[in-house]
Amino acid sequence: MKIPVVRNVLEANEKMAAHVRDTLTAKDILTLNIISSPGAGKTALLERTLKDLSGEFRMAVIEGDLQTDNDARRVAATGAQAVQINTEGGCHLDSNLVLSALESLDLDHVDILFIENVGNLVCPVEFDCGEDAKVALLSVTEGDDKPEKYPLLFNLAKVLVLNKMDLLPYVDFDLGRACNFATKLNKSLEIFEVSCRNGDGLQQWYAWLRRMRATKQM
Amino acid sequence: MHEMSIAQSLLQMAEDEMTRSGCTRLEKIWVTLGAICGVEPESLKVCFDILVRDTAYAEAKLHIIKLPLRLRCSSCGNIFGGEGQDALWMPCPACGEQLGHVVEQGRELLLNRLEAR
Repeated sequence: MKIPVVRNVLEANEKMAAHVRDTLTAKDILTLNIISSPGAGKTALLERTLKDLSGEFRMAVIEGDLQTDNDARRVAATGAQAVQINTEGGCHLDSNLVLSALESLDLDHVDILFIENVGNLVCPVEFDCGEDAKVALLSVTEGDDKPEKYPLLFNLAKVLVLNKMDLLPYVDFDLGRACNFATKLNKSLEIFEVSCRNGDGLQQWYAWLRRMRATKQM
Repeated sequence: MHEMSIAQSLLQMAEDEMTRSGCTRLEKIWVTLGAICGVEPESLKVCFDILVRDTAYAEAKLHIIKLPLRLRCSSCGNIFGGEGQDALWMPCPACGEQLGHVVEQGRELLLNRLEAR
C-alpha cells in the first residue's frame, strides 16, 4: 500500500515548542536560546549578564550539557535560578527537555530565561526550544569562516555576540570576513563585539536585552 | 549528529501512519531534504538502518529526495538558487544585491510517503 504523507519530520518538536512558547509568553518571560561551539563563552556571557543585571531583572538559566552540572553551579553562584539538563551524549536540547526543565523553575519570578544549549553549531539550530530568539555566540579564537560553514545558525539568529575581543590582536581572526558573511545571511543581524573577560562591549548586549524584554511585555 | 533523533522521529511518524492505514510492515520510506536543512543524507541512512535492525521494519529502505536551494532577493524579489549550500553566497543575478536573501526553499525536512503492507 502506498501512503502519501508529507509531514514535517520535526513537527512533534515544533508542536511542543509552541506549547513552551505559549507557557512562557503567558508569564511575560523573555526566552533566549544561546547557541555556540564548545568553549566560545556561553557560560561566561551568562555569568557576567546575571551578575551585572541582577538588580534589574529576575533571570533563570536552563543549562544543557552532555555531562556534569559544572555550568549550572557556575551560574547558580550568581544567585540566579538554574536547572541542569544532561543530555547523556545527545548533541542538542529539544522542546521536550526544556518543558521538563521548566517544572524545576519558579516561573512566577522570572523576567528573562536563558537556555544555554549544548556546545554545537549544527544540531541545536534545527530544534526549536520555544525561545523568542536565538542568540549566536562566536569567539575570535575560532575560525572566522564559521558563518560560511554553519550558515543556518547565522541565518536564524537575531543577534551575534562576538566574544573574546580582547584576544583579537593575538589571533588571525578576520572580523570583517566573519561579519560580512554573517550579514549576507541575515541583513538585520545585530552584532555585538564583547569581551566577557574584561567586560568590554557588554553594554550593547545589555541594551539589546532591555529592548527585547520591553517588547515582550507589550 | 542529530540524524539519530531525526531518524527516530521519522520512524515514529511512519508507525503512526501505518497504524492509521492498518499496515504492519514498512517497505519503503521517502524523505525530502532541503539543501541547507542541516541533515547529512548518508548519516541519516546509517541511523535509520541501525534503528530498524532486528525489528519488524528491518527490510525498510530509506529513499532521499534532495531539494535545491531557492532564494528570494531581498531587494528586487527575484527568485534564484542552486544545487548546494554555496548558492547562499550568490549575489542576485538580476540586481546584484548581496545581502540578506530570504530562503524560499532549502530548509525542508519532510516525510513524503511510505510503502507498507
